[in-house]
Amino acid sequence: MAEAPAIETFRLSKTYHGDVRALVDLDLRVERGEVFGYLGPNGAGKSTTIRLFLDLIHPTSGGAAIFGLDSRAHGVDARRRVGYVPGDLRLPDRLTAAEYLGSLARLRGSVDEAFRDELCERLGVTLDRPLRQLSKGNRQKIGLVQAFMHRPDLVILDEPTAGLDPLLQSEVRLLMRETAAEGGTVFLSSHSLDEVQHTADRVGIIRTGRLVDVDTVEGLRTRSLRHVRVTFGEPVEAEALAGIAGIRVVGTDDSVVRLSAPETAMDALVKAIASHPIVDLVSEPADLEEIFLELYREADDAR
Amino acid sequence: MPVELTLRGLRDSRRGIVGWCIGVVAYVAVIAAIFPSVQDMPDFDELIESYPDVLKSFFGISEGDDISSGAGFLDVELFSFMLPLFVLVLAIGAGARAIAGEEDAGRLELLLAYPLRRRDAVLAKGVAVALQVAVVCLAAGGTLLVFDPLVGLELSYGRLAAAAIGLLALGILHGWLALAVGAAFPSRALAIGVPTGLAAAGYLVNGLHDLASWLDPFRVASSFWLIGGSPLQNGIDAGGTLVVLAAGAVALVAGSLLIERRDLQTP
Repeated sequence: MAEAPAIETFRLSKTYHGDVRALVDLDLRVERGEVFGYLGPNGAGKSTTIRLFLDLIHPTSGGAAIFGLDSRAHGVDARRRVGYVPGDLRLPDRLTAAEYLGSLARLRGSVDEAFRDELCERLGVTLDRPLRQLSKGNRQKIGLVQAFMHRPDLVILDEPTAGLDPLLQSEVRLLMRETAAEGGTVFLSSHSLDEVQHTADRVGIIRTGRLVDVDTVEGLRTRSLRHVRVTFGEPVEAEALAGIAGIRVVGTDDSVVRLSAPETAMDALVKAIASHPIVDLVSEPADLEEIFLELYREADDAR
Repeated sequence: MPVELTLRGLRDSRRGIVGWCIGVVAYVAVIAAIFPSVQDMPDFDELIESYPDVLKSFFGISEGDDISSGAGFLDVELFSFMLPLFVLVLAIGAGARAIAGEEDAGRLELLLAYPLRRRDAVLAKGVAVALQVAVVCLAAGGTLLVFDPLVGLELSYGRLAAAAIGLLALGILHGWLALAVGAAFPSRALAIGVPTGLAAAGYLVNGLHDLASWLDPFRVASSFWLIGGSPLQNGIDAGGTLVVLAAGAVALVAGSLLIERRDLQTP
């Protein structure tokens, strides 16, 4: 028999208060050993999905299985193999990190203490002060340590790098990649494409409770738009640039041209504008909402 | 059952418990210390006796209380109202905090994502609540034990133990009810309100049923009546105390099953 995937859902749905459809018929399969990015704007249903995995809330219909273990019927066995960082991590006020992590380890039963200490050191956890005195970032580190400390088969992270400085963000990315390299699975929920694309193998995109698309990061990247603003040293004909595949001119203002371009068109764009004197060139990733709009347009075009 | 949860519950509340113990010990000590001077006031009994029945009922002075004896004095001054009040406030607060309070604060999310069953978490916290109440009851009883020879209270140690057990049963019922309501419904207000209402109603029914006989049928729902008043003079009703403890256990088990059925709330 083939091994069950790390996560598998069957028409998983959650409706709140009878009419708020937070998640609709989710069919998702996350394979062992991959980092799966779960991407969507705030309120799209990401945390709802995770809370269903962990049996913190019960599905209205459908179901989810963690390593083949039904999240409801075998929730305890399923959660034994999971490490979790909540999106809104709340910790006890008075305990110190050392006391709290010790307590969680005893609750867990078996924890690799050497690995836990290594994690604390890598992330720079403040161990000896009451938790309420710590900054948001320092508290988040404790959430990360407890999620990884028992070397779980599956780590579920809900917006894990919120409040962390860039250095730590990359440390967390490294941690996720290491976990996957050792055969573990990471389910990374985020509203930041940037965070996901540097870490994940595949990405699922969710919007208003529905899975819109699942694609590899490469696939998504070629489709993701950039906002480009070029300030030329002289007035130029913007129409010449519009000929490059995928590029749309959003506006021109004398010598400033604003356009949107997929990453695949950037090379052609830069080469095309290089014949003019350039004062400034700004390229920013489009926000997620625009990528969704783009995805929807593609979906409409395909129809 | 996750023993660690019980231990953490106790660790988290250790400061509170120390504070409660200091307060209760101080209060009990002061009351015990003034006993000799009350005893020396020959008219005190008559003064109390001249109170209207309503007032006596309200203040927990039962028919036949002999206030010039140590047991009678302490029954009126401590066990009729103040000690039950202390224990109830502590127990209901601890019970409501254990699940409803933690859920309100958003701290239940990570805990229940761990490999433990919700019902076991509720039971483990129930043990912690009972132990907290027990410590305070022990402190109250222990203080009286120390003062007994000092001020000549002439207490029966068996009845003192019974009185402490009665207090414990009262606290356990209401503490577990608070815990259970908080487990069944995601509301800290309900978790505090339901047991508080039950305690208040039970106290009134017990105090007033002598005066208003139509209250008699409701006595069986009063934990005060079930355990029995004036414990230092009369002991406690063992059967009634067992009923109170059993009711608490039923509430706790019901709460532990109901929490499995509902969604965890995020603050």
